Amino acid sequence: MIACRNLTRRFVDFVAVNRITLDVAKGAVCVFLGPNGAGKSTTLKMLTGLLAPTSGSITVCGLDVTANPLELKRRIGVLPEDLGLFDDLTVDEHLLLTGAVYGVSKRETRARANQLLHALSLEDGRRTFAGACSHGMRKKTAFAMALLPSPRALFLDEPFEAIDPVTSRIMRDLLVTVARRGVTVFLTSHILSVAEQIATQVVMIRNGKIVWNSPPAALPQSLEQHYFDLVEAPVVEDLKWLGSSQS
Amino acid sequence: MARVLAILRALGRAYRRDQRSLESVVGNNFFLVTALLLQNAGGFIYLLIGVVLLFPLSTDPLRKVPASRLALWPIEAAERRLLRALSPWVNPVSWVVAGLAVWAIRGKVTFGLWAAVAGLALAAFLLSDLPFTPGPAVWLHVPQFPGRWNQLIRKNLREMVCTLDFYCAGTVSLCGLICRSIGLRLPPEAFVAMTVLVALALSSYAESLFGLDGAGGLARYRLLPLAGWEILAAKDVAFLAIAIPLTLPLAPLAGLAAALAALTMGHAPTVNRPLPQTRWRFSTGAGLIFGMLHAGFMAMAACSVYFSSRLFLLPLIAAWAGSIWYYGRRLDRASA
Repeated sequence: MIACRNLTRRFVDFVAVNRITLDVAKGAVCVFLGPNGAGKSTTLKMLTGLLAPTSGSITVCGLDVTANPLELKRRIGVLPEDLGLFDDLTVDEHLLLTGAVYGVSKRETRARANQLLHALSLEDGRRTFAGACSHGMRKKTAFAMALLPSPRALFLDEPFEAIDPVTSRIMRDLLVTVARRGVTVFLTSHILSVAEQIATQVVMIRNGKIVWNSPPAALPQSLEQHYFDLVEAPVVEDLKWLGSSQS
Repeated sequence: MARVLAILRALGRAYRRDQRSLESVVGNNFFLVTALLLQNAGGFIYLLIGVVLLFPLSTDPLRKVPASRLALWPIEAAERRLLRALSPWVNPVSWVVAGLAVWAIRGKVTFGLWAAVAGLALAAFLLSDLPFTPGPAVWLHVPQFPGRWNQLIRKNLREMVCTLDFYCAGTVSLCGLICRSIGLRLPPEAFVAMTVLVALALSSYAESLFGLDGAGGLARYRLLPLAGWEILAAKDVAFLAIAIPLTLPLAPLAGLAAALAALTMGHAPTVNRPLPQTRWRFSTGAGLIFGMLHAGFMAMAACSVYFSSRLFLLPLIAAWAGSIWYYGRRLDRASA
């Protein structure tokens, strides 16, 4: 469902993504892990056609990403890093816009929007402008927009950050359900506990290169420990001035 | 005192950096062209420029500190009062008002002029402290449009009415409406001139149609399965939905011609050199030369339709359609 070969993205002298080769099967939940600046979001942007690769090839849903951008957009749902919301539209209007431009009928859009707003506890804020929403509400709106057209592949950039535990659980369940129905889910996250629960494929990236790619069962130890060993180990420096006297 | 001085220094720096109100007027087609063309006859426009500049510049400097941050700082009640008393002097307008007061005492300016300037500055200062956020009650009632661009057009309309350009155009339109209502006999040329002024007031916005979408909005455009021409068309429909009613009391067909001309030329800077804009300010246009050419094209379009033949609308519509198609493709290529 998702395949990339020797994917590279260069920003002047800096190589953000370096010859990545990756396959994600239909119905898989691929969790893409890595520290800040490792190249996760850049990879996700290239996979969704938001950023052109410097070299390499990408196929998503059987389409060459660079050759068929419009058709690709019709088949995928994306929660981008910056959420991609218009300050001048309400939560509800964002969902109606999504239904309209993806060719979902008005009645069906309304029904799906109501269900998503209810599931994500957004009903009370449906008439709130995105510009006035909390970060969590904005993220939930963008998540609902990604799901509403019932895409064949979902790309989610850190979907669980700033989300309350109950909604986070609901989102996790929704993702597992859609994956069981054959939708491919590709997500980046820093929350290892969530990743461990839903992943059917774990990919770790460091300095633009894939350092691990396997099903969770093939991990030699816990995901957290393996991540620390392979990607970055936490080094806690003792800041002696902290708590020593009044500033 | 050291804490208050540190805050005042930071406020001063923030104030100096925020020159948007000045920049927006300097780069706005309406002010540039009218100031250059009307010269001595442009007293009203110059007065408008003065008010427009004075009003945003007179805001309370303490507003630049987020309320939550101000509440969290460990400053005592006396320091807070001192900050309240001294912060207005960070604003140069306060010094202008004080200087004018000295001149008024010495008889160099009239007390009336000083009172007008001081009153305006005080009004802006006090109003800026009121929590003014356009509530849903106002913006939710934007009309619905048929088709799949509905929500995009509504969003674009909301953006447009958040620029001062709209209110400037509305003021000129209202003047025309009043003239018509009271039966004031103006020569027909006056209505065409006012129509061009309305289009001119909106033309800077036409040069930066994506200016208020923000980074999130621009990212969403790239994700939506819409062609570039559709995105531009949704912008243009919103522009025409504002421009046509505003020119109705003046010269409607000439207004349509000027609006189409504004959009036709505006697509180029919109797509090639997108400028971020600020809400509740005048839109900044693509520059003086482009602004002059833009104004000339709009005036030509309006005059040819008004004075020669309505058929001139046809080539204008064709040019607009060609522009939307060409720059739509440019937009597609830019987002690929």
